[in-house]
Amino acid sequence: MSLRIENLSKSFDGGTSVLDDVSLTVAEGEFVALLGPSGSGKTTLLNAISGLLSPDRGRILLDGEDITHLPAGKRRFGMVFQSYALFRHMSVAQNVEFGLRVLKGAERPSKSARRARVAELLDLIEMGDLGDRYPAQLSGGQQQRVAMARALAIDPRLLLLDEPFSALDAQVRQTLRASVRELQRKVGVAAILVTHDQTEAFAIADRVAVMNEGLIDQIGSPEELRAAPATPFVRSFLEAGT
Amino acid sequence: MRRPLLIALAMLFAFAVIVLPVAAIFTRAFAEGAGVWLSAITAPETRAAIWLTILTALIVLPINIVFGLCAAWAIARFRFPGRRALLILIEIPFAISPIVAGLCFLLVYGAYGPVGAALQPYGLQLMFNLTGIVLVSLFVTCPFVVREVLPVLAVTGEDEERAALTLGASGWQIFSYVTFPNITWPLLYGAILATARAIGEFGAVSVVSGAIRGQTMTLPLQIELLYNDYNTTGAFAAATVLALLALVTLILRGLIAAFHPARGATS
Repeated sequence: MSLRIENLSKSFDGGTSVLDDVSLTVAEGEFVALLGPSGSGKTTLLNAISGLLSPDRGRILLDGEDITHLPAGKRRFGMVFQSYALFRHMSVAQNVEFGLRVLKGAERPSKSARRARVAELLDLIEMGDLGDRYPAQLSGGQQQRVAMARALAIDPRLLLLDEPFSALDAQVRQTLRASVRELQRKVGVAAILVTHDQTEAFAIADRVAVMNEGLIDQIGSPEELRAAPATPFVRSFLEAGT
Repeated sequence: MRRPLLIALAMLFAFAVIVLPVAAIFTRAFAEGAGVWLSAITAPETRAAIWLTILTALIVLPINIVFGLCAAWAIARFRFPGRRALLILIEIPFAISPIVAGLCFLLVYGAYGPVGAALQPYGLQLMFNLTGIVLVSLFVTCPFVVREVLPVLAVTGEDEERAALTLGASGWQIFSYVTFPNITWPLLYGAILATARAIGEFGAVSVVSGAIRGQTMTLPLQIELLYNDYNTTGAFAAATVLALLALVTLILRGLIAAFHPARGATS
Protein backbone atom coordinates (compact mmCIF):
# COMPACT_ATOMS: atom_id res chain seq x y z
CA MET A 1 0.00 0.00 0.00
CA SER A 2 1.31 3.46 -0.81
CA LEU A 3 0.18 6.67 0.78
CA ARG A 4 -0.08 10.03 -0.87
CA ILE A 5 -0.73 13.24 1.02
CA GLU A 6 -1.66 16.30 -1.02
CA ASN A 7 -1.62 19.88 0.26
CA LEU A 8 -2.80 19.08 3.76
CA SER A 9 -3.58 22.10 5.97
CA LYS A 10 -4.91 22.37 9.49
CA SER A 11 -5.28 25.28 11.86
CA PHE A 12 -6.71 25.27 15.33
CA ASP A 13 -9.11 27.89 16.68
CA GLY A 14 -7.43 31.22 16.95
CA GLY A 15 -6.00 30.75 13.48
CA THR A 16 -2.60 29.29 14.35
CA SER A 17 -1.64 27.11 11.45
CA VAL A 18 -0.22 23.75 12.56
CA LEU A 19 -0.05 22.18 9.11
CA ASP A 20 0.60 24.42 6.15
CA ASP A 21 0.10 22.85 2.73
CA VAL A 22 1.99 19.64 3.48
CA SER A 23 2.54 17.05 0.75
CA LEU A 24 4.25 13.71 1.18
CA THR A 25 4.32 10.27 -0.42
CA VAL A 26 5.17 7.00 1.25
CA ALA A 27 5.95 4.11 -1.11
CA GLU A 28 4.91 0.52 -0.54
CA GLY A 29 6.93 -1.04 2.28
CA GLU A 30 8.79 2.20 2.91
CA PHE A 31 9.70 3.48 6.39
CA VAL A 32 9.40 7.26 6.70
CA ALA A 33 10.24 9.30 9.79
CA LEU A 34 8.66 12.67 10.55
CA LEU A 35 11.37 14.50 12.44
CA GLY A 36 11.00 17.85 14.16
CA PRO A 37 10.92 19.72 17.44
CA SER A 38 7.72 19.81 19.50
CA GLY A 39 5.15 22.08 17.90
CA SER A 40 6.46 21.43 14.41
CA GLY A 41 3.23 19.73 13.37
CA LYS A 42 4.53 16.16 13.06
CA THR A 43 2.02 14.68 15.52
CA THR A 44 -0.82 16.66 13.92
CA LEU A 45 0.17 15.23 10.55
CA LEU A 46 0.19 11.70 11.99
CA ASN A 47 -3.23 12.23 13.59
CA ALA A 48 -4.60 13.48 10.28
CA ILE A 49 -3.27 10.37 8.56
CA SER A 50 -4.77 8.11 11.25
CA GLY A 51 -8.14 9.86 11.02
CA LEU A 52 -8.15 10.99 14.65
CA LEU A 53 -8.10 14.56 13.36
CA SER A 54 -9.72 15.94 10.24
CA PRO A 55 -7.72 18.37 8.08
CA ASP A 56 -9.14 21.70 6.90
CA ARG A 57 -7.89 21.29 3.35
CA GLY A 58 -6.06 18.75 1.24
CA ARG A 59 -6.40 15.06 0.43
CA ILE A 60 -5.07 11.76 1.71
CA LEU A 61 -4.91 8.95 -0.85
CA LEU A 62 -4.21 5.30 -0.15
CA ASP A 63 -3.37 3.45 -3.37
CA GLY A 64 -5.30 6.16 -5.19
CA GLU A 65 -8.41 5.83 -3.02
CA ASP A 66 -9.40 9.09 -1.31
CA ILE A 67 -9.56 8.35 2.43
CA THR A 68 -9.48 11.97 3.66
CA HIS A 69 -12.91 11.67 5.28
CA LEU A 70 -12.90 7.97 6.09
CA PRO A 71 -13.43 7.47 9.85
CA ALA A 72 -10.36 6.32 11.80
CA GLY A 73 -11.95 2.96 12.58
CA LYS A 74 -12.46 2.15 8.91
CA ARG A 75 -8.91 2.93 7.77
CA ARG A 76 -7.31 -0.21 9.15
CA PHE A 77 -4.13 1.61 10.12
CA GLY A 78 -2.15 0.09 12.96
CA MET A 79 -1.16 2.73 15.47
CA VAL A 80 1.36 2.59 18.31
CA PHE A 81 0.97 5.39 20.83
CA GLN A 82 3.66 7.12 22.86
CA SER A 83 1.99 5.86 26.05
CA TYR A 84 1.34 2.48 24.32
CA ALA A 85 -2.30 2.88 25.43
CA LEU A 86 -2.62 -0.80 26.28
CA PHE A 87 -5.98 -1.82 27.71
CA ARG A 88 -4.98 -2.14 31.33
CA HIS A 89 -7.73 -4.48 32.41
CA MET A 90 -7.09 -6.93 29.58
CA SER A 91 -4.36 -9.55 29.41
CA VAL A 92 -1.63 -9.33 26.78
CA ALA A 93 -3.46 -11.87 24.62
CA GLN A 94 -6.76 -9.99 24.94
CA ASN A 95 -5.02 -6.75 24.01
CA VAL A 96 -3.59 -8.28 20.85
CA GLU A 97 -6.92 -9.92 20.01
CA PHE A 98 -8.96 -6.73 20.43
CA GLY A 99 -8.87 -5.54 16.82
CA LEU A 100 -10.14 -8.95 15.65
CA ARG A 101 -12.76 -9.28 18.36
CA VAL A 102 -14.48 -6.00 17.44
CA LEU A 103 -14.89 -6.97 13.79
CA LYS A 104 -18.49 -7.46 12.74
CA GLY A 105 -20.39 -10.27 11.09
CA ALA A 106 -18.57 -12.39 8.54
CA GLU A 107 -15.37 -10.35 8.84
CA ARG A 108 -14.88 -11.56 12.37
CA PRO A 109 -12.62 -14.62 12.57
CA SER A 110 -13.73 -17.59 14.66
CA LYS A 111 -12.52 -17.87 18.21
CA SER A 112 -9.95 -20.53 17.34
CA ALA A 113 -8.72 -18.52 14.35
CA ARG A 114 -8.35 -15.46 16.57
CA ARG A 115 -6.47 -17.45 19.15
CA ALA A 116 -4.12 -18.84 16.52
CA ARG A 117 -3.45 -15.37 15.15
CA VAL A 118 -2.70 -14.04 18.65
CA ALA A 119 -0.29 -16.92 19.32
CA GLU A 120 1.45 -16.23 16.02
CA LEU A 121 1.85 -12.53 16.85
CA LEU A 122 3.07 -13.20 20.38
CA ASP A 123 5.71 -15.51 18.92
CA LEU A 124 6.65 -12.78 16.47
CA ILE A 125 7.37 -10.38 19.33
CA GLU A 126 9.01 -13.19 21.32
CA MET A 127 6.48 -13.06 24.12
CA GLY A 128 4.78 -16.37 23.42
CA ASP A 129 4.55 -17.39 27.05
CA LEU A 130 3.43 -14.03 28.44
CA GLY A 131 -0.08 -13.95 26.98
CA ASP A 132 -1.76 -14.19 30.36
CA ARG A 133 0.13 -11.28 31.90
CA TYR A 134 -1.42 -7.86 32.39
CA PRO A 135 0.18 -4.66 31.07
CA ALA A 136 1.11 -3.48 34.58
CA GLN A 137 3.22 -6.63 35.01
CA LEU A 138 5.36 -5.91 31.95
CA SER A 139 8.50 -3.85 31.45
CA GLY A 140 8.31 -0.78 29.25
CA GLY A 141 9.98 -2.59 26.38
CA GLN A 142 7.55 -5.50 26.62
CA GLN A 143 4.58 -3.13 26.70
CA GLN A 144 5.87 -1.47 23.57
CA ARG A 145 6.12 -4.82 21.79
CA VAL A 146 2.58 -5.73 22.83
CA ALA A 147 1.37 -2.41 21.42
CA MET A 148 3.17 -3.30 18.21
CA ALA A 149 1.60 -6.77 18.06
CA ARG A 150 -1.85 -5.30 18.74
CA ALA A 151 -1.41 -2.87 15.85
CA LEU A 152 -0.23 -5.66 13.53
CA ALA A 153 -3.11 -7.95 14.47
CA ILE A 154 -5.56 -6.10 12.25
CA ASP A 155 -3.29 -6.73 9.26
CA PRO A 156 -2.84 -2.97 8.89
CA ARG A 157 -2.62 -1.20 5.56
CA LEU A 158 -0.22 1.28 7.14
CA LEU A 159 1.71 1.40 10.41
CA LEU A 160 1.75 4.65 12.40
CA LEU A 161 4.21 5.06 15.26
CA ASP A 162 3.92 8.06 17.58
CA GLU A 163 7.20 8.46 19.50
CA PRO A 164 7.09 4.77 20.41
CA PHE A 165 10.54 4.69 21.99
CA SER A 166 10.54 7.89 24.02
CA ALA A 167 9.58 6.27 27.33
CA LEU A 168 12.37 3.67 27.20
CA ASP A 169 15.92 3.82 28.46
CA ALA A 170 18.70 4.18 25.90
CA GLN A 171 19.75 0.55 25.70
CA VAL A 172 16.26 -0.91 25.32
CA ARG A 173 15.50 1.80 22.83
CA GLN A 174 18.29 0.67 20.48
CA THR A 175 17.30 -2.98 20.61
CA LEU A 176 13.62 -2.21 20.05
CA ARG A 177 14.38 0.17 17.22
CA ALA A 178 16.04 -2.66 15.35
CA SER A 179 13.27 -5.12 16.15
CA VAL A 180 10.49 -2.73 15.10
CA ARG A 181 12.24 -2.17 11.79
CA GLU A 182 12.67 -5.92 11.36
CA LEU A 183 8.99 -6.57 12.14
CA GLN A 184 7.93 -3.91 9.69
CA ARG A 185 10.08 -5.46 6.95
CA LYS A 186 8.79 -8.94 7.71
CA VAL A 187 5.16 -7.83 7.51
CA GLY A 188 5.90 -5.66 4.49
CA VAL A 189 3.75 -2.76 5.60
CA ALA A 190 4.66 0.88 5.01
CA ALA A 191 5.33 2.80 8.23
CA ILE A 192 5.41 6.39 9.42
CA LEU A 193 7.29 7.22 12.59
CA VAL A 194 7.01 10.48 14.51
CA THR A 195 10.07 11.44 16.50
CA HIS A 196 12.02 14.41 17.80
CA ASP A 197 15.19 12.33 18.00
CA GLN A 198 17.43 12.76 14.99
CA THR A 199 19.62 9.73 15.78
CA GLU A 200 16.52 7.56 15.97
CA ALA A 201 15.07 8.86 12.71
CA PHE A 202 18.34 8.34 10.87
CA ALA A 203 18.86 4.87 12.32
CA ILE A 204 15.47 3.46 11.43
CA ALA A 205 14.02 5.25 8.40
CA ASP A 206 14.47 4.93 4.66
CA ARG A 207 13.59 8.59 4.31
CA VAL A 208 13.31 11.38 6.84
CA ALA A 209 10.99 14.39 6.56
CA VAL A 210 12.23 17.30 8.66
CA MET A 211 9.32 19.40 9.88
CA ASN A 212 9.34 22.96 11.12
CA GLU A 213 6.38 25.18 11.97
CA GLY A 214 3.82 23.17 10.02
CA LEU A 215 5.96 22.70 6.92
CA ILE A 216 8.16 19.90 5.64
CA ASP A 217 11.47 21.71 5.19
CA GLN A 218 13.21 18.83 3.53
CA ILE A 219 12.65 15.16 2.79
CA GLY A 220 15.26 12.64 1.79
CA SER A 221 17.40 9.71 2.84
CA PRO A 222 19.62 10.23 5.90
CA GLU A 223 22.64 10.46 3.59
CA GLU A 224 21.01 13.15 1.45
CA LEU A 225 20.03 15.19 4.48
CA ARG A 226 23.46 14.95 5.99
CA ALA A 227 25.20 15.81 2.73
CA ALA A 228 23.02 18.75 1.75
CA PRO A 229 20.67 20.30 4.31
CA ALA A 230 18.18 22.39 2.34
CA THR A 231 17.47 25.14 4.87
CA PRO A 232 19.31 26.76 7.78
CA PHE A 233 16.72 25.15 10.10
CA VAL A 234 17.49 21.63 8.87
CA ARG A 235 21.19 22.30 9.18
CA SER A 236 21.00 23.61 12.72
CA PHE A 237 18.49 20.94 13.83
CA LEU A 238 20.68 18.12 12.51
CA GLU A 239 23.79 19.65 14.04
CA ALA A 240 22.11 20.04 17.41
CA GLY A 241 21.13 16.36 17.33
CA THR A 242 24.58 14.93 16.72
CA MET B 1 4.19 9.53 75.11
CA ARG B 2 2.27 11.60 72.63
CA ARG B 3 1.18 8.75 70.44
CA PRO B 4 -0.86 6.77 73.00
CA LEU B 5 -2.45 10.01 74.09
CA LEU B 6 -3.51 10.86 70.55
CA ILE B 7 -4.85 7.37 69.93
CA ALA B 8 -6.76 7.42 73.21
CA LEU B 9 -8.23 10.79 72.36
CA ALA B 10 -9.36 9.60 68.92
CA MET B 11 -10.86 6.45 70.42
CA LEU B 12 -12.69 8.40 73.08
CA PHE B 13 -14.05 10.79 70.50
CA ALA B 14 -15.25 7.97 68.24
CA PHE B 15 -16.81 6.22 71.21
CA ALA B 16 -18.65 9.29 72.49
CA VAL B 17 -19.81 10.53 69.11
CA ILE B 18 -20.40 7.32 67.13
CA VAL B 19 -20.44 4.12 69.17
CA LEU B 20 -22.47 5.29 72.12
CA PRO B 21 -25.38 6.83 70.18
CA VAL B 22 -25.63 3.89 67.76
CA ALA B 23 -25.47 1.41 70.62
CA ALA B 24 -28.17 3.42 72.41
CA ILE B 25 -30.51 3.01 69.43
CA PHE B 26 -30.27 -0.75 69.57
CA THR B 27 -30.47 -0.92 73.39
CA ARG B 28 -33.51 1.27 73.48
CA ALA B 29 -35.19 -0.54 70.57
CA PHE B 30 -34.78 -3.92 72.20
CA ALA B 31 -35.45 -2.68 75.76
CA GLU B 32 -38.88 -4.28 75.83
CA GLY B 33 -37.78 -7.46 74.09
CA ALA B 34 -37.39 -8.68 70.55
CA GLY B 35 -41.10 -9.38 70.21
CA VAL B 36 -42.03 -5.77 70.81
CA TRP B 37 -39.27 -4.68 68.43
CA LEU B 38 -40.60 -7.02 65.74
CA SER B 39 -44.18 -5.86 66.10
CA ALA B 40 -42.96 -2.24 66.05
CA ILE B 41 -41.14 -2.58 62.74
CA THR B 42 -43.95 -4.60 61.20
CA ALA B 43 -46.58 -2.04 62.11
CA PRO B 44 -48.38 -1.12 58.86
CA GLU B 45 -47.23 2.51 58.81
CA THR B 46 -43.62 1.61 59.50
CA ARG B 47 -43.70 -1.14 56.90
CA ALA B 48 -45.08 1.33 54.36
CA ALA B 49 -42.30 3.78 55.27
CA ILE B 50 -39.60 1.13 54.84
CA TRP B 51 -41.02 0.16 51.46
CA LEU B 52 -41.29 3.78 50.30
CA THR B 53 -37.68 4.43 51.29
CA ILE B 54 -36.43 1.38 49.41
CA LEU B 55 -38.62 2.18 46.41
CA THR B 56 -37.25 5.72 46.29
CA ALA B 57 -33.69 4.44 46.44
CA LEU B 58 -34.41 1.92 43.68
CA ILE B 59 -35.79 4.63 41.39
CA VAL B 60 -33.08 7.17 42.20
CA LEU B 61 -30.17 4.75 41.77
CA PRO B 62 -30.40 3.96 38.04
CA ILE B 63 -31.17 7.58 37.14
CA ASN B 64 -28.15 8.65 39.15
CA ILE B 65 -25.91 6.13 37.41
CA VAL B 66 -27.02 7.11 33.91
CA PHE B 67 -26.93 10.85 34.57
CA GLY B 68 -23.64 10.61 36.47
CA LEU B 69 -21.98 8.64 33.67
CA CYS B 70 -23.19 11.00 30.96
CA ALA B 71 -22.14 14.11 32.86
CA ALA B 72 -18.74 12.71 33.85
CA TRP B 73 -18.11 11.53 30.29
CA ALA B 74 -19.08 14.87 28.76
CA ILE B 75 -16.96 16.85 31.21
CA ALA B 76 -13.93 14.57 30.94
CA ARG B 77 -13.88 14.08 27.17
CA PHE B 78 -15.28 17.22 25.56
CA ARG B 79 -14.63 20.94 25.64
CA PHE B 80 -17.92 22.77 25.21
CA PRO B 81 -19.42 26.09 26.26
CA GLY B 82 -20.97 25.73 29.69
CA ARG B 83 -18.61 22.92 30.71
CA ARG B 84 -17.30 24.78 33.73
CA ALA B 85 -20.81 25.86 34.66
CA LEU B 86 -21.97 22.23 34.55
CA LEU B 87 -19.08 21.25 36.79
CA ILE B 88 -20.11 23.85 39.38
CA LEU B 89 -23.84 23.11 39.04
CA ILE B 90 -23.28 19.46 39.88
CA GLU B 91 -21.59 20.48 43.13
CA ILE B 92 -24.43 22.76 44.23
CA PRO B 93 -26.49 20.11 46.06
CA PHE B 94 -23.53 19.65 48.41
CA ALA B 95 -23.51 23.33 49.27
CA ILE B 96 -27.23 23.92 49.68
CA SER B 97 -29.02 22.95 52.86
CA PRO B 98 -31.42 20.10 52.02
CA ILE B 99 -34.37 21.94 53.52
CA VAL B 100 -33.70 24.92 51.25
CA ALA B 101 -33.52 22.52 48.32
CA GLY B 102 -36.91 21.11 49.31
CA LEU B 103 -38.40 24.60 49.43
CA CYS B 104 -36.94 25.42 46.00
CA PHE B 105 -38.66 22.36 44.54
CA LEU B 106 -41.91 23.34 46.19
CA LEU B 107 -41.65 26.84 44.71
CA VAL B 108 -41.11 25.55 41.19
CA TYR B 109 -43.03 22.28 41.05
CA GLY B 110 -45.67 22.93 43.70
CA ALA B 111 -49.29 23.77 42.83
CA TYR B 112 -48.52 27.51 42.89
CA GLY B 113 -45.16 27.27 41.14
CA PRO B 114 -44.76 27.85 37.39
CA VAL B 115 -44.27 24.19 36.44
CA GLY B 116 -46.72 22.83 39.00
CA ALA B 117 -49.46 25.28 37.96
CA ALA B 118 -48.96 24.45 34.30
CA LEU B 119 -49.40 20.75 34.95
CA GLN B 120 -52.38 21.13 37.28
CA PRO B 121 -55.07 21.27 34.54
CA TYR B 122 -53.85 17.86 33.30
CA GLY B 123 -54.32 16.38 36.75
CA LEU B 124 -50.58 15.99 37.22
CA GLN B 125 -49.31 16.68 40.69
CA LEU B 126 -45.59 16.55 41.34
CA MET B 127 -45.32 17.44 45.01
CA PHE B 128 -46.57 15.65 48.15
CA ASN B 129 -46.21 12.22 46.56
CA LEU B 130 -43.61 9.73 45.36
CA THR B 131 -42.65 11.94 42.38
CA GLY B 132 -41.76 14.81 44.71
CA ILE B 133 -39.76 12.57 47.01
CA VAL B 134 -37.86 11.09 44.06
CA LEU B 135 -37.18 14.55 42.58
CA VAL B 136 -35.63 15.98 45.74
CA SER B 137 -33.73 12.75 46.38
CA LEU B 138 -32.26 13.05 42.89
CA PHE B 139 -31.26 16.62 43.70
CA VAL B 140 -29.42 15.79 46.90
CA THR B 141 -27.70 12.68 45.49
CA CYS B 142 -26.73 13.77 41.99
CA PRO B 143 -23.13 14.84 42.80
CA PHE B 144 -21.96 11.47 44.15
CA VAL B 145 -21.52 9.39 41.00
CA VAL B 146 -20.04 12.25 38.99
CA ARG B 147 -17.58 13.09 41.73
CA GLU B 148 -16.31 9.53 41.99
CA VAL B 149 -16.20 8.77 38.26
CA LEU B 150 -14.94 12.07 36.86
CA PRO B 151 -11.43 12.12 38.38
CA VAL B 152 -10.79 8.53 37.24
CA LEU B 153 -12.14 9.20 33.79
CA ALA B 154 -10.09 12.38 33.51
CA VAL B 155 -6.75 10.71 34.15
CA THR B 156 -7.26 7.36 32.44
CA GLY B 157 -8.34 5.94 29.23
CA GLU B 158 -8.36 8.68 26.60
CA ASP B 159 -5.40 7.12 24.81
CA GLU B 160 -6.92 3.69 25.29
CA GLU B 161 -10.12 4.92 23.68
CA ARG B 162 -8.18 6.34 20.74
CA ALA B 163 -6.32 3.07 20.36
CA ALA B 164 -9.61 1.17 20.38
CA LEU B 165 -10.95 3.57 17.76
CA THR B 166 -8.01 2.99 15.40
CA LEU B 167 -8.45 -0.76 15.90
CA GLY B 168 -11.95 -0.46 14.46
CA ALA B 169 -14.12 -0.53 17.57
CA SER B 170 -17.52 1.19 17.41
CA GLY B 171 -18.51 3.83 19.96
CA TRP B 172 -20.49 1.31 21.95
CA GLN B 173 -17.68 -1.27 21.83
CA ILE B 174 -15.21 1.35 23.05
CA PHE B 175 -17.47 2.22 25.95
CA SER B 176 -18.29 -1.33 27.01
CA TYR B 177 -14.88 -2.97 26.42
CA VAL B 178 -12.48 -0.14 27.25
CA THR B 179 -14.01 2.76 29.18
CA PHE B 180 -16.52 1.03 31.41
CA PRO B 181 -14.14 -1.57 32.92
CA ASN B 182 -11.87 1.30 33.96
CA ILE B 183 -14.61 3.07 35.90
CA THR B 184 -16.68 0.16 37.25
CA TRP B 185 -15.35 0.53 40.78
CA PRO B 186 -15.65 4.30 41.19
CA LEU B 187 -19.10 4.05 39.63
CA LEU B 188 -20.19 1.42 42.13
CA TYR B 189 -18.68 3.40 44.96
CA GLY B 190 -20.48 6.58 43.97
CA ALA B 191 -23.73 4.68 43.53
CA ILE B 192 -23.50 3.27 47.04
CA LEU B 193 -22.77 6.66 48.57
CA ALA B 194 -25.74 8.11 46.67
CA THR B 195 -28.00 5.30 47.83
CA ALA B 196 -26.97 5.75 51.45
CA ARG B 197 -27.75 9.43 51.15
CA ALA B 198 -31.11 8.80 49.45
CA ILE B 199 -32.14 6.38 52.18
CA GLY B 200 -31.19 8.72 55.00
CA GLU B 201 -32.34 12.04 53.55
CA PHE B 202 -34.65 13.94 55.89
CA GLY B 203 -34.71 17.70 55.31
CA ALA B 204 -35.50 17.98 51.62
CA VAL B 205 -37.94 15.08 51.69
CA SER B 206 -39.79 16.46 54.71
CA VAL B 207 -40.68 19.62 52.76
CA VAL B 208 -42.13 17.89 49.70
CA SER B 209 -43.52 14.72 51.22
CA GLY B 210 -46.75 16.21 52.53
CA ALA B 211 -46.49 13.83 55.49
CA ILE B 212 -49.45 11.62 54.65
CA ARG B 213 -49.32 8.78 57.15
CA GLY B 214 -48.77 5.38 55.62
CA GLN B 215 -48.42 6.92 52.17
CA THR B 216 -45.73 9.57 51.78
CA MET B 217 -43.67 8.98 54.89
CA THR B 218 -40.16 7.75 54.26
CA LEU B 219 -38.34 5.97 57.04
CA PRO B 220 -36.52 9.02 58.45
CA LEU B 221 -39.81 10.99 58.48
CA GLN B 222 -41.65 8.06 60.09
CA ILE B 223 -39.04 7.91 62.84
CA GLU B 224 -39.55 11.56 63.69
CA LEU B 225 -43.31 11.13 63.60
CA LEU B 226 -43.24 8.16 65.96
CA TYR B 227 -40.92 9.99 68.28
CA ASN B 228 -43.16 13.04 68.38
CA ASP B 229 -46.10 10.71 69.10
CA TYR B 230 -44.24 9.56 72.25
CA ASN B 231 -43.92 6.12 70.65
CA THR B 232 -40.26 5.86 71.60
CA THR B 233 -39.96 2.12 71.13
CA GLY B 234 -41.51 2.38 67.68
CA ALA B 235 -39.18 5.26 66.78
CA PHE B 236 -36.08 3.43 67.92
CA ALA B 237 -37.16 0.16 66.32
CA ALA B 238 -37.62 1.96 63.01
CA ALA B 239 -34.26 3.64 63.57
CA THR B 240 -32.59 0.24 63.83
CA VAL B 241 -33.86 -0.60 60.34
CA LEU B 242 -32.36 2.62 59.00
CA ALA B 243 -29.13 1.92 60.86
CA LEU B 244 -29.00 -1.59 59.40
CA LEU B 245 -29.57 -0.27 55.87
CA ALA B 246 -26.73 2.18 56.47
CA LEU B 247 -24.58 -0.65 57.82
CA VAL B 248 -25.15 -2.67 54.65
CA THR B 249 -24.00 0.22 52.47
CA LEU B 250 -21.03 0.71 54.77
CA ILE B 251 -20.01 -2.94 54.43
CA LEU B 252 -20.40 -2.79 50.64
CA ARG B 253 -18.28 0.33 50.65
CA GLY B 254 -15.59 -1.39 52.69
CA LEU B 255 -15.62 -4.41 50.39
CA ILE B 256 -15.22 -2.21 47.35
CA ALA B 257 -12.34 -0.32 48.94
CA ALA B 258 -10.66 -3.62 49.81
CA PHE B 259 -11.02 -5.11 46.33
CA HIS B 260 -10.44 -1.93 44.38
CA PRO B 261 -8.27 -3.17 41.51
CA ALA B 262 -6.40 0.10 41.18
CA ARG B 263 -4.51 -0.87 44.31
CA GLY B 264 -3.07 -4.05 42.89
CA ALA B 265 -0.76 -4.54 39.97
CA THR B 266 -3.39 -6.45 38.03
CA SER B 267 -7.05 -5.97 37.53
